[in-house]
Amino acid sequence: MANIGIDLGTTHSLVAMVIDGQARCLLDDNDRALLPSAVRYDDAGSPMSIGYPALDAAGSPGGTTFTSAKRFMGRGASEVAEEASLFRYELEDDDQAVHFRVGERKISPVEISSFILRLLHARAEECLFSRPGGAVITVPAYFDDAQRQATRDAARLAGVEVLRLLNEPTAAALAYGLEKSADGQKVAIYDLGGGTFDVSILELQDGIFQVLSTAGDTHLGGDDFDQALAKVLLTQAGITDADGTTFRAAVRAAEAAKRELTDHDSATLKATLSGQAVEAGIDRASFNALIRPIVERTAVACRQALSDAELTPADIDEVVLVGGSTRVPLVREIAAEIFDREPHCNLDPDQVVAIGAALQADILTGNSELAGDMLLLDVIPLSLGLEMMGGVVERLIPRCSTIPASATQTFTTHVDNQTSVDMHILQGERELVADCRSLARFKLTGIAPQPAGTPRIKVEFTVDADGILRVAATDTQTGAQTAIDVQPSYGLSEDEIEQMLEDAIDNAETDVDERLLIDARVEAEQISLHLHKALSADAALLEKDEGPMLTQLLEDLSNAMSGKDRQLISDLSHKIDEVSAPFAQRRIERDLELALSGRSTTSVAGELGIPE
Amino acid sequence: MICWQCHEPTGSAVCVGCGTIQPPPASPDPFEILGLKRRYSLDREEIEDAWRGISRSVHPDRFAGKPAVIRRMSLQWTAAINSARRDLKDDDRRARLLATGDPNPPETSKAPTDQEFLESIFELQMGAEDDPAGTREQARSMQDTERARLNAIFEAWEADGGDLSDVERILGRLRYLNTALSQTN
Repeated sequence: MANIGIDLGTTHSLVAMVIDGQARCLLDDNDRALLPSAVRYDDAGSPMSIGYPALDAAGSPGGTTFTSAKRFMGRGASEVAEEASLFRYELEDDDQAVHFRVGERKISPVEISSFILRLLHARAEECLFSRPGGAVITVPAYFDDAQRQATRDAARLAGVEVLRLLNEPTAAALAYGLEKSADGQKVAIYDLGGGTFDVSILELQDGIFQVLSTAGDTHLGGDDFDQALAKVLLTQAGITDADGTTFRAAVRAAEAAKRELTDHDSATLKATLSGQAVEAGIDRASFNALIRPIVERTAVACRQALSDAELTPADIDEVVLVGGSTRVPLVREIAAEIFDREPHCNLDPDQVVAIGAALQADILTGNSELAGDMLLLDVIPLSLGLEMMGGVVERLIPRCSTIPASATQTFTTHVDNQTSVDMHILQGERELVADCRSLARFKLTGIAPQPAGTPRIKVEFTVDADGILRVAATDTQTGAQTAIDVQPSYGLSEDEIEQMLEDAIDNAETDVDERLLIDARVEAEQISLHLHKALSADAALLEKDEGPMLTQLLEDLSNAMSGKDRQLISDLSHKIDEVSAPFAQRRIERDLELALSGRSTTSVAGELGIPE
Repeated sequence: MICWQCHEPTGSAVCVGCGTIQPPPASPDPFEILGLKRRYSLDREEIEDAWRGISRSVHPDRFAGKPAVIRRMSLQWTAAINSARRDLKDDDRRARLLATGDPNPPETSKAPTDQEFLESIFELQMGAEDDPAGTREQARSMQDTERARLNAIFEAWEADGGDLSDVERILGRLRYLNTALSQTN
């Protein structure tokens, strides 16, 4: 089945796939590759339109168009209050996770994103004349666990199977075919999109593309240029308290002027604001002056990424520009300044990421020519830690660790007969809990009542290849899996979805153990069957205490097989193999002798009066 | 090792016979996981080569769409080699691993005290206010001395199994010096 690559962007989204060995973006009925990441709801909160129609209706009455939902994915209401007011979105403030209010309905950014994914998936289905397989969906490298989880949830709501969440810069490197460059090449990917900025340093070695470091700002992008310019327009029009509709109209005019300034030295801002037609001219120099402070903020992240990779700008061999905002001439200028190198920009910066995602999706089918040796290795963008006594964070997995990564920590109880332990997982670089981002709270339950400090619960934290955290706990004394109650700080509130997630993880865990246990038992059964036969057939060939020893081992094994300790079962199986080896050797030699003398084993057994 | 799928003997992460990924190594030893000799004098490329080789065969991208049990093993394997690589690439973590079996530094409260050394650190910090440059210089030269001692210990150990009991103390000193250096900056 053909897999697809999806770039779920802040302002635009795309779907691409490899057709006849060539990755290309799929077009809509009007031959457009871009789908505006916009969904419009009517005043009752029912979805009305997605993409261009939704965007075109933005700012007109009779509904609300949501754009930039990606900025709100996996975030807390209190974290984004300021941002929501920039977009003039009405937020529910009684929830932890962000929800917008339209009429009586609460709408989550995950739901909005799922509509976009559904539409792109349908576009692929039309092109293929059949349902696509799985999808590789790209996310900013800087997305934390909650934001990645929210992206996965959106895919699930849309009924899209996620093969892998791929970091956007990694996808871009793949699209540029940089895997064909010389060994040891170091590449900087400068990705300025609508709402996020990412910079990643990658190194290529033996076909393995490894992210050395990544840094960025989840609140920096071309939208900020539009907002800044819209404010200027509103001020010039003398509007001080723009409502949502007026503001969005001003932003649209600003966006159009920004695009014009890419190829022209001046542009005109045109909009109808609060019923009055407004026009204002802007030249490139004043636009540059307006956005320079915003663009310069990208240098901070670039320096951070370089220092994390223990490199200087001179070590960088290639610079790649990604994201529609890198069309802005000043952005190119500043990127070139930071790395002291002319950047690559021959691919359409809007399509680069989707193309890379399609290539990776193709690799994951296993039949791409790249599949054999190509590997993309991402890193975790922020350290993962655990809250300790006194509100201090203990780091479990440091920033820039290659993923998948795991860490284990042993927990015990503090009071007698305590049956549960609470844990708080955080993501961030600071020492104090208050300064890090809360990811989730876990509760280990079902601990057998014992004196304080006696239980030993081993908790394993694993960040998978998608950058999403999984947690598993075992009581090291009993070997029993301990139940974990997960409460994501900014996850979807729909209990069922969380439940589905947990179930999936728990089952995967049980599946492995169950499978291994079954395999150990099957092996043990064969060994003991074989030995029982041999013992009854050739007891005469046993030497010294071999007989009683093997009988004892067989009994131990049969006891172990009724239990669940697969290690014990396979240890005993191997022990039996070892101890019975000389006996087996003697039987083989004897058979050989018999064969040479022309008699069969069975006839000998018959002579000795031993049943077969 | 017997392959859990085809029951034929196999010695690698992925069964040579049937291509099935094997359960992750039971041993937590990073050297064993990456199939490297227990040595201090490992060069970075050796570690990277071993790690890249196994990565290529066990990474979850190789098992997209495979059953959960297989994907789980791939995840565990990859996490195990990534952490083994981290423990071996860092000189101090590798040294501590060889000396104590645990690459992580002990909690400050449980670390052995090194009175004599603490006094010289104290003196160093006293001097930092008047002469930060000189203090940094001195701290660096102390670091070099300790580093050289560490190398000598491991050289002897690799040659004829010398004593590693002093390693933890030297690593502790290096940590103190690092802290002192970052404070004077």
